[in-house]
Amino acid sequence: MQHYIEHGPAFAWLRVRLEPEERIVAEAGAMVRRSTALEVETRLNASKKAGFLGMVVAFFVALMRKLFGGETMFVNEFWGPQGGEVVLAPKLSGHILRKSLDGTRTLFVQSGGYLASTAGIDTRLRFGGLRTLFGGEGLVLLQCSGQGDVFVNSYGGITEIPVDGQFVVDTGHIVAFDGALDFRVRSIGGAKSFLFSGEGLVCEFRGRGTLYIQSRNLKALVSWVAPLLPR
Amino acid sequence: MHFEIQYRPTHSLAIAHLEPGESVRAEASAMVSMTRNLDITTDGPMGGRGGLLKSFKRAMLGGETFFTNTFRARGTPGHVTLAPTLSGDMLAVELGPGEPLYIQGSSYVAAPDSVDIDTRWQGLKGFFSGESLFFLEATGSGPVLVNAFGAIEQFDLDGEVIVDTGHLVAFGAGIEYEVTKASRGWIASYLSGEGLVLRMSGRGRIYLQSRNPNEYGQAVGSELPPRQG
Amino acid sequence: MRHEILDAPHFGMLELTLDAGEKVVAESGAMVAMGPAVAVETKMRGGFLAAAKRKLLGGESIFQNTFTASAAGQKLYLAPPVEGDLVMRELAPGETFFLQSGNYLAHVGEQLVLDTQWGGVRSFFGGIGFFMLKVVGPGTLFYASYGAIHEVAVGAGGYTCDTGHIVGFSSGLEYKVRPFAGFKGLFFSGEGLVCDFEGRGALFVQTRKAPSLAAFLHPFRPVQQRGDN
Repeated sequence: MQHYIEHGPAFAWLRVRLEPEERIVAEAGAMVRRSTALEVETRLNASKKAGFLGMVVAFFVALMRKLFGGETMFVNEFWGPQGGEVVLAPKLSGHILRKSLDGTRTLFVQSGGYLASTAGIDTRLRFGGLRTLFGGEGLVLLQCSGQGDVFVNSYGGITEIPVDGQFVVDTGHIVAFDGALDFRVRSIGGAKSFLFSGEGLVCEFRGRGTLYIQSRNLKALVSWVAPLLPR
Repeated sequence: MHFEIQYRPTHSLAIAHLEPGESVRAEASAMVSMTRNLDITTDGPMGGRGGLLKSFKRAMLGGETFFTNTFRARGTPGHVTLAPTLSGDMLAVELGPGEPLYIQGSSYVAAPDSVDIDTRWQGLKGFFSGESLFFLEATGSGPVLVNAFGAIEQFDLDGEVIVDTGHLVAFGAGIEYEVTKASRGWIASYLSGEGLVLRMSGRGRIYLQSRNPNEYGQAVGSELPPRQG
Repeated sequence: MRHEILDAPHFGMLELTLDAGEKVVAESGAMVAMGPAVAVETKMRGGFLAAAKRKLLGGESIFQNTFTASAAGQKLYLAPPVEGDLVMRELAPGETFFLQSGNYLAHVGEQLVLDTQWGGVRSFFGGIGFFMLKVVGPGTLFYASYGAIHEVAVGAGGYTCDTGHIVGFSSGLEYKVRPFAGFKGLFFSGEGLVCDFEGRGALFVQTRKAPSLAAFLHPFRPVQQRGDN
């Protein structure tokens, strides 16, 4: 498979040339254009290791999120007997980063940051609590493992932070991070700051590993636009 | 008159330079700034040559009003700067006689009087999403200013390609298109999130944008406080 | 204190490196990330009494955060909410700069004055949250734009700019807000205003504007269900 990240860093898209029978999985709605010879299959992005119950839960979650908003976790898989080309684009403006996993490492990707992955990558949705299920506060993460490439997209530019010790990030600005890092979600500086500071939740990272942050934040955009809207 | 486009490709701004007496017609919401020696007149939809615009809901037009303002330089050279609603690139496509350009409604920005803009209602309704699309036909000679949400990719088609219509900015003559399913089966196509998908074939130029305004609108809009209806 | 502007001009983000005791004041909601030895204090602008007396326009945030480092080499990342550029401006003692309030990001220097009360211009610029801050040095000001920043040297002949596209302007300019002569579209937030500038000075224009984005997003909002409060 050949991949090309074009039109970065502001409006990057991913162009992929597939060999015969080679597959790529992409977030629902990401396709820009593709060769007519490619097949498309739509399915749930459930972990391959999930049993029947796991699949039922995953389907329920996906349906709820599609109806109530949030990451749907439906994906499209593209392949063809002669191969072909497909171009994939994220929803928001920003860049695309390719992370290769060799089977020993895990990558956590913030929901909204997942664009595509190759066939050998396994993904599992990780989130805390019912509120997060319906798109509320907290961190919704996709845990990626296996062997292959994960293509991650950002809202804004991507800055790589080598964490060695401690680091604090507003949750809306997290793109992805090494599975080796410890993380804890908390509100910034006490109850008063949570209400008034404008910062939502922050994530405290500890340990050693790479963290990718994005220079824009969807929740901040929403707060900024909201007062300008009519009834 | 000529267009000069700066700050490409992300936050592009088009400067329409006008010699005395020259004019440019621009979509009403596009004006950013201008020199003070211009006369301004307002026309109805598409300079009065509109078609079936009365029944359009603004949602389908992505906020476009289809009223146009004509700016004419009085006595001395002047300019008006123009920008679309969303971030992204702009391009001035030079039209020649017999070389029409079909532009997606929300991608049209401005053109001089030597270019004729005709609304051509294409009843392309999405099967599920309610997504609709219409194209304008630009004919004549001179530059047509189009905008993209994101970066612009232009390529010459010779054969076939499947395109997500939300990414389509414009295309030239010689291209046929038909609506097709995004995935295997209707339910899958609904879940696939692709909306309207076209099979385009023939020989001609296609302009795509690297972001989809509908996807962006859904992603941000669904997080906004609800509206009254 | 060291500063670096990353990802500009597309998605400007400010990276500050603070030493022990150094502080920076920032717009509420601007923090992206920071090192472990940075404390955040939330205050009302101008103190509680001043805030209570002041009539608030929608969208104006009365809270700002003061970040203070307690160790050397602490990183602090700040970003505005919308895509565009980010600029630093050093102001000499007494030097004045007029900045649109929504474009303010942060400042360093306890003597820098952000004045919202001057000359009653707030109502002139129309719409919600559109008013100009009068910033007086000494100090370092960081501000952002929606889109790129296009600098216009205003001179003889003057210049006209849509109010939503104004980032800021230097002293030396006379300004007058009025409705636009042509048709500006059906925007919601008291739109259709332009500002005529005369005199000699620098005008900073942003190539995108907030009310247009709001109008674009409005149809994508969820519809309020009956029974919701």
